[in-house]
Amino acid sequence: MQSRHEPQTAREAGLLQCRTCGCLSHPPAQVSKRTIMRCPRCGARLHLHEHSNSIEITWALLIASALLYIPANTMPIMSVYMLGSGQPDTIISGVFHLLESGQWPLALVVFAASIVVPLLKLITLSFLLISIQRKSRWRQRDRLVLYKITEYVGRWSMVDVFVISILVGLVQFGNLARVEANAGSLSFAAVVVLTMFAARTLDEHLIWDISRKEEQH
Amino acid sequence: MIDVSSSIACPECGQLHRYQPIAQGKTAMCKRCGSVLYRNRKHMLESVLALTTAGLLLFFLSNLFPLLGLRAQGVEQDLLLFGASVAFWGQGYHLLAGLIVLNTIVFPLFELVSLMIISLTAKYGWKPGLAIFLFRWMREIKPWGMLEVFMLGILVSVVKLGDLATLIVGTAFWSFAGLILTMAAASSMLEPFVVWRMLGHCKERQHAVTT
Ligand SMILES: [Zn+2]
Ligand SMILES: [Zn+2]
Repeated sequence: MQSRHEPQTAREAGLLQCRTCGCLSHPPAQVSKRTIMRCPRCGARLHLHEHSNSIEITWALLIASALLYIPANTMPIMSVYMLGSGQPDTIISGVFHLLESGQWPLALVVFAASIVVPLLKLITLSFLLISIQRKSRWRQRDRLVLYKITEYVGRWSMVDVFVISILVGLVQFGNLARVEANAGSLSFAAVVVLTMFAARTLDEHLIWDISRKEEQH
Repeated sequence: MIDVSSSIACPECGQLHRYQPIAQGKTAMCKRCGSVLYRNRKHMLESVLALTTAGLLLFFLSNLFPLLGLRAQGVEQDLLLFGASVAFWGQGYHLLAGLIVLNTIVFPLFELVSLMIISLTAKYGWKPGLAIFLFRWMREIKPWGMLEVFMLGILVSVVKLGDLATLIVGTAFWSFAGLILTMAAASSMLEPFVVWRMLGHCKERQHAVTT
């Protein structure tokens, strides 16, 4: 514990802060990396920052989603059959179909949710991880806002998966018209799920996690 | 040593503050990062209870009646909320079918039931064990309930199908829209900090439990 000034954060005061219910508690005298600590109020797992492996797990999830992002965008996600003949659609060709039929506001929404958001999520989370690893003090507040936005918008990418499920469920008129799902939808859903997990495993407190000692240097 | 019972840490940045009761309708914010620490809302528990009761009713309506119908050459095809997931299952994408059931049915229902049990427990001072368990998992699961994203999916599908066939907007479409609004209102009404304090106090010099 530091003696010269009042501790500012729970971490500086040597306290554990539960991320679920906010309860503060003291860590036991001896904590090894294998000790499992739980919040006295709600029972959620507690971690000491130096024992947190948030960064490694988030990197692993990000790399996996970056790899899956390629098949998600190049493989067809669904096929529309009209009068027997059909054509497979990728995400981007689906956006073009909307554009061709003059639905540009909707085309823009789908383009943003399915292509821009997953890509931006990959870039933003990598940027946050690198800045945390470099112990950057640059615009901590703005980086927290960036994290919050990334965490919030991620789920909206699921919209394309839902559209496929609705079309497949609704358009089943035999030879006249029918819609089938394709394997690209699976990799796309995997990208959305994995980036959502990545945003969740990234511990945003690490953005602020520079002790006052380091700050004074 | 810091008194744990009267101190609170900012949920976003960890900054320590001393807890002070605030007047009704007021909000306490973090001095370092500006995040909301807690609010004192009028009739919080009563509003949440009313909203979740309405929500459960709308939930059942949304699941019992078709969301959309499509008519082409005299044949009509209806879609239930559950049908969206069945569609994927029928095509052999079982994982996706499971994911969609979780996103549109299981998790929203879990959230509604949890909100109800938590506010009942806080209001009538029941034993908090179950409510604590549910509240802990509700916050974890919340981003995975995706009713409003599914609604956007319905709108996109409606536009895509617009010139293909005659589209019928089903009864469940409107209850589904109502369900989204009620759930958003209920969960924004519930003040986590205040509710956690009602469910259990953090005692002074409390130690983390080790196993
Ligand atoms: Zn806790
Ligand atoms: Zn703060």
